[in-house]
Amino acid sequence: MNKKELMNNKFFIAALFLLPAVLFSLVYLIIPIPLSAYYSFFKWDGIGAMEFLGLKNWSKLLSDPIFWSSMANNFKLVAISLVVQIPIALFLAVLLTRKIKGADFFKTIYFVPMLLSSVAVAFLWRYMYDPTFGLINRVLNLVGLEQLTQSWLGNPDIAFYSVAAPIQWRFIPLYMIIFMAGISNIPQQLYEAAEIDGASNLQTFFFVTLPMLRSTVVNASVLIIVGSLKYFAMIFALTGGGPNHASELMATYLYSKSFTEMNMGYGSTISVALFLVALIVSVVFLNLSKKDVRN
Amino acid sequence: MNLILEGREKMKRIPIYTLIILIILTLTPLTTVMAQENITIELWDILTQSEALRPAIKDAIKRFEADNSNVNIKHIPTSNDNYKTKLRTAMSANNAPDIFMTWGSTGLEKYVDQNKVYSIEGVDWTKHFPTTALSIGKFNEQQYGIPVQGVTPAILWYRTDMFEKYGLEAPETYKDLLKVVKTLTDNDIIPFTLANKNKWTGSEYYMYFVDRIGGPEALQKAISREGAFNDEPFIEAGRKIQELVKMGAFPDGVNGLDENAGQSRMLLYTDKAAMYLIGSWSYGIMKQETPKILDKLEMINFPAIEDGKGDPSNLIGAPAQNFYSVSQNSEYKDVSVKFLKYLADKEMGRAVIESGNMPVVKGVAKEIEDPYLKEIYSMGQKASHIQLWYDQTLPLELAQVHLNTTQALFGMEMTPEEAANQMEAAAKEYYGE
Amino acid sequence: MINKLKQLVIYLFLLVWLIITGYPLVFLVQNSFKVRMEFFRNPVWSLPESFTLQNYIDVMESGFYIYFINSIIVCFISVAIIIIVSALASYAISRIDFKYNKIVYILFLAGMMIPIHSTLIPIYKITLSMGMYDRLSALIGPYVAFSLPISVFILTGFINDIPYELEEAAIIDGASRFRIFRDIILPLVKPAIATVSIYNLTLLWNQFAYALVLTSSPSKRILTLGLFEFQGQHGINIPLTLTALFLSVLPLIILYVFLQEHIIKGMTAGALKG
Repeated sequence: MNKKELMNNKFFIAALFLLPAVLFSLVYLIIPIPLSAYYSFFKWDGIGAMEFLGLKNWSKLLSDPIFWSSMANNFKLVAISLVVQIPIALFLAVLLTRKIKGADFFKTIYFVPMLLSSVAVAFLWRYMYDPTFGLINRVLNLVGLEQLTQSWLGNPDIAFYSVAAPIQWRFIPLYMIIFMAGISNIPQQLYEAAEIDGASNLQTFFFVTLPMLRSTVVNASVLIIVGSLKYFAMIFALTGGGPNHASELMATYLYSKSFTEMNMGYGSTISVALFLVALIVSVVFLNLSKKDVRN
Repeated sequence: MNLILEGREKMKRIPIYTLIILIILTLTPLTTVMAQENITIELWDILTQSEALRPAIKDAIKRFEADNSNVNIKHIPTSNDNYKTKLRTAMSANNAPDIFMTWGSTGLEKYVDQNKVYSIEGVDWTKHFPTTALSIGKFNEQQYGIPVQGVTPAILWYRTDMFEKYGLEAPETYKDLLKVVKTLTDNDIIPFTLANKNKWTGSEYYMYFVDRIGGPEALQKAISREGAFNDEPFIEAGRKIQELVKMGAFPDGVNGLDENAGQSRMLLYTDKAAMYLIGSWSYGIMKQETPKILDKLEMINFPAIEDGKGDPSNLIGAPAQNFYSVSQNSEYKDVSVKFLKYLADKEMGRAVIESGNMPVVKGVAKEIEDPYLKEIYSMGQKASHIQLWYDQTLPLELAQVHLNTTQALFGMEMTPEEAANQMEAAAKEYYGE
Repeated sequence: MINKLKQLVIYLFLLVWLIITGYPLVFLVQNSFKVRMEFFRNPVWSLPESFTLQNYIDVMESGFYIYFINSIIVCFISVAIIIIVSALASYAISRIDFKYNKIVYILFLAGMMIPIHSTLIPIYKITLSMGMYDRLSALIGPYVAFSLPISVFILTGFINDIPYELEEAAIIDGASRFRIFRDIILPLVKPAIATVSIYNLTLLWNQFAYALVLTSSPSKRILTLGLFEFQGQHGINIPLTLTALFLSVLPLIILYVFLQEHIIKGMTAGALKG
């Protein structure tokens, strides 16, 4: 092929565009998953010899109640995050893109939870949740609602939900900003047309804003779903997965198996399972949302 | 004439000889100096800014560098929780630092088994350390690490002012303890402050109960597989814990409180709780956090159990802590071992005392002036047996099961039988029978 | 009247949310002025008895700002690279109809699902063998690679939505793919780039798993690691830690205000003319 043909060859051009991404991915991303899959067939403590186990880790995983309950927790987190983060973020985004006094000030403070590291957020919320000294119980006591006071992080029945709350608190501003960017992208003419048609604020929102934000919302949902399935940081910092695995997630379970118990083989099994679960869920979700478009 | 010429010749040679000798004399030190290139060795441990022991290590490093000007020791501390991940990752790639810290026992043994640790048997460490201390770092008759802290038992602190207020005496037996617990709860005081998110804190109660009820043999037999982890002492220990839980002896939501965040000590400082079972490092911490509280605190050993097999003087804790070892892949093993000697001398012992911790080096105990440290030291001396924490005695997998089941006991999520059986099942799986 | 009521309700909601998001910051600041002992003695929510600046001095003296600058360098360079690399890749996937197009897209999608801890040891070994251990630059590779799948996902979706007509004229004129990419597509995807930048910047800023194993020396430490400095094995100096947390957030808030004014507004204004 001479140069002109090469330049026109789609494959070659595509390859050029893709080269940097493929390079990075190859070295740092593509190798670990097959490697984890490989480790999952062995008993290995990470430093010594590896003992071939065949499918033993996998059969152990399938009958491991902790793994399944942690996966259930992940799905709970997905549901909670979708239901809480998207509406609130949308609401805030809509409010703040209007001409409201002090919008900029609000925007800045609202973003602070995102700027703090998970470690920091866990820190703060730990003291909020303290059963004796924590702000939440104190406020409840003050307003006469003592019956509602709980050991927020110690009670296995509610520990998971107690940690889910700061996670929402932390990520809402992120999606708020993303939605705000999306909203400011909507051509002004559409709003003007709606106003001429006499649409109320609510109608404008549902018939102009929301449809235009569709792809943004779908994107945000995918980010939330994948993020929730992979989530690690705040659970690990606040409860460590406890008490007694009540708030365990797949990622925290994988961490404790791999690094605390030095059972790399089983930890790798969990990570491959996590990978597959997330992949299946995302593909399903994307297909569902694509079908809508065709309608 | 010839004689004079010869003489002059000889005279001329003298300067040359002196010159040659002078040159040799100056070159030799020069070459030895040049042969001592500057080297840097890396030291990993957990002594971050807020660790009381840090000045002692820094001092040892300073003294070593002063005596060995061509060596620079790079001290890299990592906070405790992250340290293990960091060290393990480095070990797995044979990139461990020259000198690294572990807690000895099974944690260090795992690396020794994989040939990652350099044997320091060549030095006579018994001159500097008691053998019980060294034993935690000794495997297959070879010494692999030396400790920098001495005996750290779990001690029971109690508020003298609160006990006086309610007419209570320090509990010597379990029966006494039950009375104390009842009186305190009747007066809305939490008998034991405890933060059990971390699991090892609650485990201290369990370990003491097993030891008091069944003696050290109970655990030893379970490990050697002559006995089992669901033998009577283990189940009875679980029963005692749950008896206390039901009486309200521990704070609400105990499994959600974080010891590292001081949530247990907060209750003690604000007069909401009256007793605190914790390792002796707590002395140093409380001194830093609220020194005045020490006026109102005294320490005793864990109460005895009547008709229990264990000697009431027994302690649960580490005979020695914070072991420093040399890694097999270090390029400067000899220099590293040389540094370790600076952790073994009396100056180090004194520095440890000054930091509010228990020294382990021989011969400095008499210099302890602090009454609390003296008390802890004498407890250690009087003990007929010191049982190392389970999570350092047991292999990693079993340690985790122990911690999890004990935490479940505190949360009333398992019966004592279930907890003990689960532990035994894990042991069977690990040991193979 | 109804309008005024609506306004009031809106402001009320915004105010409540302000307290929920802002109070922790107040908590940080108020406790940063306390001495270590005071934190436990007084209820945690009370105001400091004596305002001490010692914590601020201690944090500054601990080399804190080195960690901060390291974080800034690594994060910003990584995000810059991510934008370029993912934009190039997204354009190819979206616009170039080459043979393995779909497979490449699905592979990137799959990349989003990889849990970070399962990559720690392999990446550690690779970094070692490349001789990059204990260098800040070692972090850039994993940071970029890890953020690529999501960035490609977002950008590809966005480019897919751009009407093809805008490029047709240029193609007829014989412009090269690269020209089209640079002159037509890039300006149009500014909102998506803004999204990708913010998302990745905030996630990378809080990362510490890679830094923990790939760096060692204090001079190479990043902020999230540095914050652990004040935590000991059994004790913690809480006011000191809170001061560090506050100092680490303050420059970011200032930066964010600045970015908002000049960059974000510019990026999100008039991108798609209807």
